[in-house]
Amino acid sequence: MRVDGPIAVLDRWGRAALPGVVLLFFVLMTLAPLRAPYLSDALPLLPALTVFQFSLATPERLPGPLLLIAGILLDLLLGGPGAPVGVSGLCFVLIRESVVANRRYLVGVPFLFQWMGFAVLMGGNVLLVWAFTALWTWTAIDPLPALMQYVVVLVIYPLLGPLLARVRARDPLNVPEPARGGARPTHPRPGPPAP
Amino acid sequence: MAIRDDFEIVASQVRVALQRFALALLVIAAFGAMLIGKADTVLVENARVLALDLASPALEAIARPVAVANRAIADLKEFASLREENARLREQNARLLAWQTAARRLENENDRLRDLSQFREGPEASFITARIVGDSVSAYVRGALLNVGTRGGVAHGQAVVTGEGLAGRIAEVGDNSARVLFVTDVNSRLPVLIERTRERAILAGDNSAMLRLTLLQSVAGVQPGDRIVTSGHGGSFPVGIPVGEVVATGENNVRVRPFTDFSRLEFVRVVDYGTTGQVSANPANPSSANPGTPPAPSTAAAPAAPASAAPAAPPSAPRGGR
Repeated sequence: MRVDGPIAVLDRWGRAALPGVVLLFFVLMTLAPLRAPYLSDALPLLPALTVFQFSLATPERLPGPLLLIAGILLDLLLGGPGAPVGVSGLCFVLIRESVVANRRYLVGVPFLFQWMGFAVLMGGNVLLVWAFTALWTWTAIDPLPALMQYVVVLVIYPLLGPLLARVRARDPLNVPEPARGGARPTHPRPGPPAP
Repeated sequence: MAIRDDFEIVASQVRVALQRFALALLVIAAFGAMLIGKADTVLVENARVLALDLASPALEAIARPVAVANRAIADLKEFASLREENARLREQNARLLAWQTAARRLENENDRLRDLSQFREGPEASFITARIVGDSVSAYVRGALLNVGTRGGVAHGQAVVTGEGLAGRIAEVGDNSARVLFVTDVNSRLPVLIERTRERAILAGDNSAMLRLTLLQSVAGVQPGDRIVTSGHGGSFPVGIPVGEVVATGENNVRVRPFTDFSRLEFVRVVDYGTTGQVSANPANPSSANPGTPPAPSTAAAPAAPASAAPAAPPSAPRGGR
């Protein structure tokens, strides 16, 4: 049993809630009327970027149901009439699962590899959303804007990814957390109390 | 004790099973949501409206600083070309003043003729001004969120205009929020008229910056530069709101550039228009009382050609040849 003061408890809560809050923030940000020519194209993919980045560091703090709900919220907020609701949730869940299954190739490797992994997963994401939207609305949707979105988010990743990755690096008490490093959350084992 | 142990064993088995099938369950749930959305569109629309209503205060908080920043950047950009812009505006102002005088004279004439023929005008349109608090722009949607809803008098299907022309129509309305579907959206279909020939057509978006004009009669009469206005057919849209200008004509592929600059929208007006009829004044041209330079136009045409239309010719033969 860990004996913690109120600040440490608060800190743990804060860290547990952070990925979800950041994800929600980026879901809302997709609607922000930024009028930057290319940046606003990529906004709808930033939640997926967040999911990818946090799945690398702390997948246990982004549980599947939360991802599903966030994805459905994103679809509800962003979608036009007839657009599929739930496809983003599906993508988020699949991204998290793919990252967790391939942590070996994505965590603790040079950034370039991470970037390549991101490119592959995001490509799948964009393709899936495009295919579902085209299928659901039964219209031939021009793939060029989706491609543009993809390229911009690939360029943005090196700027935003390391920033989000600091969640992992800045571990205030430097307590080795049992859940860290493993693909699945494990039960906390009794260890020495925090210094 | 034994019962408790049994219970714990069953619980742990359920937990293990759930963990094992978590991914499958989540995927099924996502597909379920998509199918429900396809089957019950009303439910999804209500959910969308609820989500918009909940998100709109947060979005409004984000929108203000973003708008200030955007305006500062735009100001800086404009500062660089202030002199040329001034000259251009002065020249345009002179041209528009001539138009204004023409319009006033025609308005008078129109009034007199209407009096003579006892013409009964349709309902007057009123406007609800709204701030854009969110962009609903992605690779698949072209739209925006407004900070007014049913409480402000906004209703489904109403036209949304800017000073330049038609922006779109209201697609979803919440209590305090509404979603505009821009004319450029792939789901947008708009009955329009070609102003010069009065030919009817359908203007469709395809998520690109240009619109596609599908003619109901013949393609032959359309020329680049023709203005496209709403026809008011089949709905609550007023007649004669400028939408765009023909920029390219080809076989079965007439492209129209919208007058509205969607990248710089900050405020829009929602046209509250009752049922059908005619809008008395062009929404792009609120009347003013400043007499201008003596003009020499002889025919009727829309007086307020938007800046982007930039008719270089003096206002003398708008309806004639081209």
